Parts: sequence; structure tokens; C-alpha cells
Amino acid sequence: MIRFRGVSKLYPPDVTALKDVTLSIMPGEFVSIVGQSGTGKTTLAKLIIAEQRPSKGRVIIGDWDITDIRSHEIPILRRQIGVVFQDFKLLPRKTLFENVAFALEVAGASRKKISSVIPQVLKIVGLENKMDRFPREVSGGEQQRAVIARALVHRPKILLADEPTGNLDAINAHDIIELLRKINEFGTTVVLVTHNREIVNMLHKRVITLDQGMVISDQKSGRYIL
Amino acid sequence: MFFLTFYRALRFAFQGFWRNIWLSVVTIIILVLTLFSVSVVAGINVVGREMVKSIENKVDVSVYFFPTVSDSDVESVQYRLESLGSVASVTRVSKEEALAQFKERHKNDPTITESLNELTDNPLGTTLIIKAKKIEDYPLILQVLDDPDYQKLVQNRNFEDNQKIVARLSDISGRIQRGAIALSAMFIIISILIIFNTIRITIYTHREEIGIMKLVGASNWFVRFPFIIESLLYGLIAVAITLILVFPLVQLVSPQLQSFFQGYSFDLAAYFTGHFLMFALMQVALATFLSMASSAVAVGKYLRV
Repeated sequence: MIRFRGVSKLYPPDVTALKDVTLSIMPGEFVSIVGQSGTGKTTLAKLIIAEQRPSKGRVIIGDWDITDIRSHEIPILRRQIGVVFQDFKLLPRKTLFENVAFALEVAGASRKKISSVIPQVLKIVGLENKMDRFPREVSGGEQQRAVIARALVHRPKILLADEPTGNLDAINAHDIIELLRKINEFGTTVVLVTHNREIVNMLHKRVITLDQGMVISDQKSGRYIL
Repeated sequence: MFFLTFYRALRFAFQGFWRNIWLSVVTIIILVLTLFSVSVVAGINVVGREMVKSIENKVDVSVYFFPTVSDSDVESVQYRLESLGSVASVTRVSKEEALAQFKERHKNDPTITESLNELTDNPLGTTLIIKAKKIEDYPLILQVLDDPDYQKLVQNRNFEDNQKIVARLSDISGRIQRGAIALSAMFIIISILIIFNTIRITIYTHREEIGIMKLVGASNWFVRFPFIIESLLYGLIAVAITLILVFPLVQLVSPQLQSFFQGYSFDLAAYFTGHFLMFALMQVALATFLSMASSAVAVGKYLRV
């Protein structure tokens, strides 16, 4: 599903974010990418959604080598990967319903489809009663649920969550992880980028540990080792 | 698909406009102030041009013939002058009319009146009053009168007396027009910069949104289009408000100007109404084209996500 072959990422003038990373994530897996701040976790996530290009090596999503992806192809890639960000990244001038609908609208979905799918997805994340609220009118946990709903709405094969619990309290963080686990049970590949030790240890899923831009550990049912 | 995207872009544009109403209002106010300044400068330009024209219109040259010159000789000179392309009109004042006008002018001067009564013959000759199309054409027209054949016909002409004033007027009129063009150009450049920067700042406040849209999978045009339409809305509303403001101002100023332009017909209100379409179109072009172009450029800056 996701393959990194000898990927390095350098930021000028002399910062090496990733160094010769090779890894494969299989369809349906739940993988936690862990490591301390500045070890290249977010760069790895950005390479998956083509927000950054590798300086060396190849990145392959499914059968698509996105290493030299053309800029007009990036939206097509992003519509196939659901992304959850630490800082939510909801559109402030749109309601929760409109935020989720936006992900379908960019792909040209019909109004009929949108009005039938969105309430269902918002119900899955427990926001069916708050769909007309603006992001500023709901809590951080609810905002993150809306982001997950948006990431799920076009049924992506991959869900990439970059520090999704970073801005949440323990209870909300737990709820979000449970939601991700459920999504994974339905067959979606989940890539969780985090440095939250408790969450990683609680999951008992595959853990890839990065240190100074390199993979130092890859365990099938791992723990946070740093 | 195209219509659906277009419909969505329109919907997002109106949504963005209303949900950020204060930013929209501030942007429109700045555009209105800019357009209003350009309109005032354009108005001053028109009034200045008409003022110069009205002064030029008051300038003419009189050619006085000897009293003995026959009407047919005067007519031949008049015919020759009228055939010149640079001559706007030639008015003939007969000996009798000239005398009547002279008497009327000096009716309160008993010495002149008595002297005239002593005379049995009309001492005045026929006069031709020449108006040129352009003030700078007078010297050329009067060169014709330097023809040796006319020397024995023409007693006097007042152009030499007026020459300095005419030259001065011509110079002032040129300076005013050049000044007006420079001032208008400066104002247009300033307004272009203000509109461009206002829209850029407006877009800057949405830079995060633009990034989010891109991360969710929106194409560049899907992001750009609503912002361009929103900017078009700002431009159109600003033009409408400016026209609504300028119209009563013109009505208010017009009577004052009419009394200022005594003896010269100039109605600013009628001029404005007559040129309304051109005036509105120029403003629409300035405001909408600039706001759309600047938003397209400004959005482009934040699309590289």
C-alpha cells in the first residue's frame, strides 16, 4: 500500500529530515510512526500526501510512484488519502457539515450524494447534532472528529493521522484513537504519526520508530521504545 | 461537471462574502474611496478642459477694412478665410453695424457722440471677426492676410495686440492639459496599487484556508475561482456605490459651474449623464479587472501546498 525505498529528505542548507528510509505498509495495517520531535515523522507524512518531494529515493502509494508527481495530479492523490492533522485544519468560514462536504465537492460529487453521505459520516463520529455549527463553536475533540469525518467521507484506502491527539485532553484523545481503531477494523490502512507513549503502548499494533531521520526499529506488535 | 464546479464556486464566493462581512465591507470602502478619488480627478480634468475651451472660445481676431473697400473685396477675403481648414467661423460686421455698435459703446461719451454727428460719412469700414478652431492656428490664419494684395484693403487688425495674450493662453492651456494628464495618470497608478494591495491583504487573511483546501484535494482552480468571484463582487459593489455617490455630487456642483462658465454653455450634469456608460465601464474595468487579477495572483502565492 505504502512503500518508501531509500528515501532521504534534505532541507537546505544542511538539515537532514529523513535518511535512507525503506519501509512498506501493507493494506489494512494499523501502523504507528513514533519518535521524538524533529526526527522526521511529519516529513514522512508530508511525503505520503506529496506536500513534500523526496530528495532521494522513491515513494510509492498503491501502484502509483508519486516521487515525481505532477502538480495537477496532487489533488487526485489527496482525494484517495484521508488526512487528520494535529491542528485540525478545518475551514473556519464553513460549518462542520460544509467542511466535510467540501472534501466531496472538490471531487465533483453530486448534491444528492453529498446530502445522503454527510449525515451518515457525521453520525459515525458522533456529530450528527452539531453539523450546522462552525468550528469555533465546538470543542477541540469535536473539531478533530469532524476532521476524521472529512478524511473518511470519500472512503479512502489510507487514513493518515499526524499527531491527531496532540491538541486534545486524555479523554478526547482516547476517543479519537478508538475511532481510528474502528476505521481500521473496516479495512482502512491507518498510519498514525505520534509521540504519545501511552497511546502507542495501548494499541498493540505495528510500531515504526524513527530517530534522527532513520528507522531504528520496526516491531509487529510494538511499544514506544524511546 | 463544469457547471457544477462553477455553481459551487459562485456559492462559495457569496458564502465567503457574507460570512466575512466586515472584511468585505472594509475592502469595498477602500475600493470606493479609491474610485471616488479617480472620479473627482477625472471630473476636475473635464472641468479644466472645458475651462480652457471656454477661454479659447472668447479669443477672436478682428480685421478692420478701410471704409472705402467695397463689399465684394471684403467678401473675397472672407471667402478665402472660410476656405481654410483651421478657421471655425468668419463673421462679417458691416460698416453700418460697426457704426451702430461704436455709438452704442460710447453713448455716454458726449465728445465722441458730438464728433460723430459732425461727420457726414461713416468713418468705419467693414470688419471680419475670425475664430480659429484651435488657439495656436491664429498666426497661420493671419499669415494669409499678409498677402500684398490685401495690404491696401486692411486698415488694422487686432491680432498683434492680442498675440501675447493668445500665446500665453495657448501655453497655459497646454500646461493645464499636460498637468491634468499627469495628475490622472498618477491617480490611476495609485489606485491600481491600492486596489492590488487591498485584495492581496484580503487574500492574505485566507492563506490558511487556501492551504487547507489544497490538502483536502482541491485543484488550484477550485480554490482560486471563488476568491476571484468574491473579488469581482467587491469591485462591482464598489463601482455601484461610487456611481451613487458621484451622481448627486455632480448635480450639486453643476449649477455652480454653469454660473462660472458665463457665456459658454457647459453642463457637467449633462456631460456626466451623456458619458455615464463610458464612465461606468471605465470604473468597472479598473475595479473588477484589477481586483480579479490581483486576487488570482495573490491566491496563487498560497497554492503551493
